[in-house]
Amino acid sequence: MTVILIVCVVALVLVVGLAIRSRRSRDAVADFRRQIDALSPEARKDVTDRVRRIGETTEDGDDSGS
Amino acid sequence: MVTTVARDLAIDLGTANTLVYMKGRGIVLNEPSVIALNRQTGEVLATGREAWQMIGRTPGYIVAVRPLRGGAITDFEITERMIRLLLQRVGVSRFTRPKVVICVPSAITEVERRAVTDAARRAGAADANLIEQPMAAAIGADLPIDEPVGNMVIDIGGGTSETAVISLGGIVALEAVRVGSFDIDAAIQNHIRREHGIAVGERTAEEIKMAIGSASPTGEDSTAEVRGRDLMSGLPKTVVLSAEEIREAIEDPISSIVASVVRCLAKAPPELSQDFLVRGMYLVGGGGLLRGLAQRIERETEVPVKMSNVPLEAVVLGAGHVIEHYDALKGMFMGVRR
Repeated sequence: MTVILIVCVVALVLVVGLAIRSRRSRDAVADFRRQIDALSPEARKDVTDRVRRIGETTEDGDDSGS
Repeated sequence: MVTTVARDLAIDLGTANTLVYMKGRGIVLNEPSVIALNRQTGEVLATGREAWQMIGRTPGYIVAVRPLRGGAITDFEITERMIRLLLQRVGVSRFTRPKVVICVPSAITEVERRAVTDAARRAGAADANLIEQPMAAAIGADLPIDEPVGNMVIDIGGGTSETAVISLGGIVALEAVRVGSFDIDAAIQNHIRREHGIAVGERTAEEIKMAIGSASPTGEDSTAEVRGRDLMSGLPKTVVLSAEEIREAIEDPISSIVASVVRCLAKAPPELSQDFLVRGMYLVGGGGLLRGLAQRIERETEVPVKMSNVPLEAVVLGAGHVIEHYDALKGMFMGVRR
């Protein structure tokens, strides 16, 4: 009876452990995907716009200065 | 600038300049990293541009200092006060505590990292995280770092120069040296002292660098008239400097920077190395504006060098993007397990 109980507990621990590991792995993939998406050209459109605006301002300044 | 509600902030805490990006607003502050103090009472008299104008021109009881050297905090207490004042100016108070992302040189030690985050938290930040300057610079320079291709960025700041190879949102190879544009200014100061026997301040040295400094011959044979104090007589004296002698004077720091770029190229995996020949390397940071530097790096590495459209703002714009997408990009913070 004790042996059966121990086997059941060990099996339960293994199942839970594998489930957690699998979930962590899925989370890691999702996190990586989210990070790459946040660095994509579409997500960085705000940066691109600000760079363009600063570039234009600098060029205007250069023109007026020369 | 005063706002009633503080939003999350990105700070480029540079040796030369400090830039602050506010979430949803863009760059709200761009000032020299200088603070002026009353030596007797310890009171802050000025920060930023106003303090910068005081460097080398103060009476005995005032001291105007740069609390960061080589990208590291040299005086923790003064840095904390400077950050606190900067945050106050953009609307941070004890009731409005924002999340803050701070750009720091990638080569800083664990102790220096803790010093920066502690200074920001004590200055009013609810949470302070650090991001490596080359990574922020690559985002700000609008490089396609989300793709599996080699992106190379060279960030030459006031106290440090960093070269990084970035692919798929992570740093693949990195090389950093604690040599920057202040070392170039110091080399000019030393040269004038040694060869012409006159003392000039760091602001004058910077002006000489901007007027006739170059890293490789530019085809112009320009000269600059410089006034300083004669070391023998103590009287004001004027000398004329040529572009060529300044180029020779700054050869040591320039060689160190170029050598670190070469070392970084050597560290890059071969699959990414071939991308550089097509895509080139991107130069950012105020030091990158030195005449002939891009050409010098290009000549010594045989890889095309391109100048970012926003060399001075690239780092804070990149960190600003991280603060705009905080949850998705928090895995990029220094010290986070990946």
